[in-house]
Amino acid sequence: MAAASSRSFEYLEGLPGTVFYKLYQQPATALAIFRRMLPDLAKCFVMALLYLKDPLPAVDLEAWVKPESLRERDNSLSILGRLHILANTTISNNVRAYMVTNPFATSLRQALTGTEQTQPFGVLSNVPETDLISVSDLDEYARRQWEGVLGYMVGTSGLGIQRDANLSKGVKQLLQAGHLVEIRDRRPEITKDGFAFVLQDVNTQVWHILILYVESAEAIGMDSVEVLSFLFLLSSLELGRSYEKKHLTSNQLRTLTDLADFGIVYQESPDASHFYPTRLATTLTSDSSALTNPISGSLSGPTGAGAASKAGSGFIIIETNYRLYAYTSSPLQISLIALFTTLKYRFPNLITGKISRQSIRRAIEMGITADQIISYLTTHAHPQMRKHNASKNASSMGVPPSILPPTVVDQIRLWQLERDRVKATPGFLFKDFVSLAEYEAPCRYAEEIGVLLWKSDRRRMFFVTRHEQVAAFLRRK
Amino acid sequence: MPRAVRGVLIECDPSVKAIILKYDEERHDYVVEDLDDDRHLVIKESQVQNLKARLGKELDEKVMQPDESESE
Repeated sequence: MAAASSRSFEYLEGLPGTVFYKLYQQPATALAIFRRMLPDLAKCFVMALLYLKDPLPAVDLEAWVKPESLRERDNSLSILGRLHILANTTISNNVRAYMVTNPFATSLRQALTGTEQTQPFGVLSNVPETDLISVSDLDEYARRQWEGVLGYMVGTSGLGIQRDANLSKGVKQLLQAGHLVEIRDRRPEITKDGFAFVLQDVNTQVWHILILYVESAEAIGMDSVEVLSFLFLLSSLELGRSYEKKHLTSNQLRTLTDLADFGIVYQESPDASHFYPTRLATTLTSDSSALTNPISGSLSGPTGAGAASKAGSGFIIIETNYRLYAYTSSPLQISLIALFTTLKYRFPNLITGKISRQSIRRAIEMGITADQIISYLTTHAHPQMRKHNASKNASSMGVPPSILPPTVVDQIRLWQLERDRVKATPGFLFKDFVSLAEYEAPCRYAEEIGVLLWKSDRRRMFFVTRHEQVAAFLRRK
Repeated sequence: MPRAVRGVLIECDPSVKAIILKYDEERHDYVVEDLDDDRHLVIKESQVQNLKARLGKELDEKVMQPDESESE
């Protein structure tokens, strides 16, 4: 299962069973979950069971998996259970058996083989070929809107660079509600979560935003199930085709308008009779990556493939004297770098700056961590830096190759530590024990259950993170 | 009879602990229990943020920093 979907998976997993029941009524949802959320082995199980009339005895199913792959089997079965796809039943003689639940089974069968029902995957509109928006235009639109969102978060406007992405109020509110930005002095400032968000790959970002959207939809009176199943429907549409809007409900139309702000769908105007899904939507539930143009491509975070495939995308050079050179003209990248660097010069395709104690502290005060900065720099390191270090590391086998100069990495971490002079842990201090014997027993007990932080035999005191069990222990005596 | 007191355990350098104790002398509104070793003490939960801010500011002023001029 792709790492990108883990957040959406966690969100889905937390939903109550009744929500799943409603979600799985839609063939598009069943197919999307099947395609995106399940490990390969789980897919095999589902496909094998899908057309069986009777539940399959658990022993039979378990016999399909080799003994050395028990972990994968249990993992798959547990995921299927948590997503309410597979149900445990008993057939005659109390034999445990598995079956694919309804309506998931019905919907998936419909998705695979078609239905009498008109169009479970959206209705194509009859726009003449010549009026169709081209795929490259859609990509351009999606990229512009999405970068506008990211640009807003990192504050490109603060640099005096004017961006033409027109962000709606709804977008800004959503980012605030998700604690990705905070408004300070009327200016948005990126938060720790926001910085982590910006560093992720586009697909994960889109899911993150969509889950925020679904959560906020409930607050404004939209049915989250309806919104969610509409998102799954969007994800199964075809790029470069236009779809009719007249079959959509009012809530779905509203969602459509909101999603257009993010560049997930495109419509010529809010009143247009049809809409286009962009690549951001159509890659939601597939494994192919969204947006592969140079800038967004380089935005995709450390979750991607190995360093080799990303080697072409790096553009940052750091010297051991903390000077930083970044070959970019993207306002988004420049403002990202400006978050933790003191910039000095800007050329058409190059900016230079210096990582200093002040600039790192400024970033850390905003809630960005040293590790986030280091991982950003590593991800975007210039191919030349990778090459240089690869040749250097070839001699010292066993040491994991570091792309950045070790001095810089260490110093960034030290600068962060400087901020944390004290370590504070909330908890409870137990004191006033009459005798050493009375003190020792609960103290040892606290240590055993792993809540003890500090103790002093001399003063007969100890400090624990949780008091309930220790207090109960004392009462029992 | 043993008692349990709610608080926040602070682990820090002896120097930082000395500063915290100095703050406490003003109004006795930080420390719940001085734990009698060099590095630990328990303070009130409500004062943690305040203490961190105050410490950060004070250490910034007092601790020597290498020259930070941006000149080349």
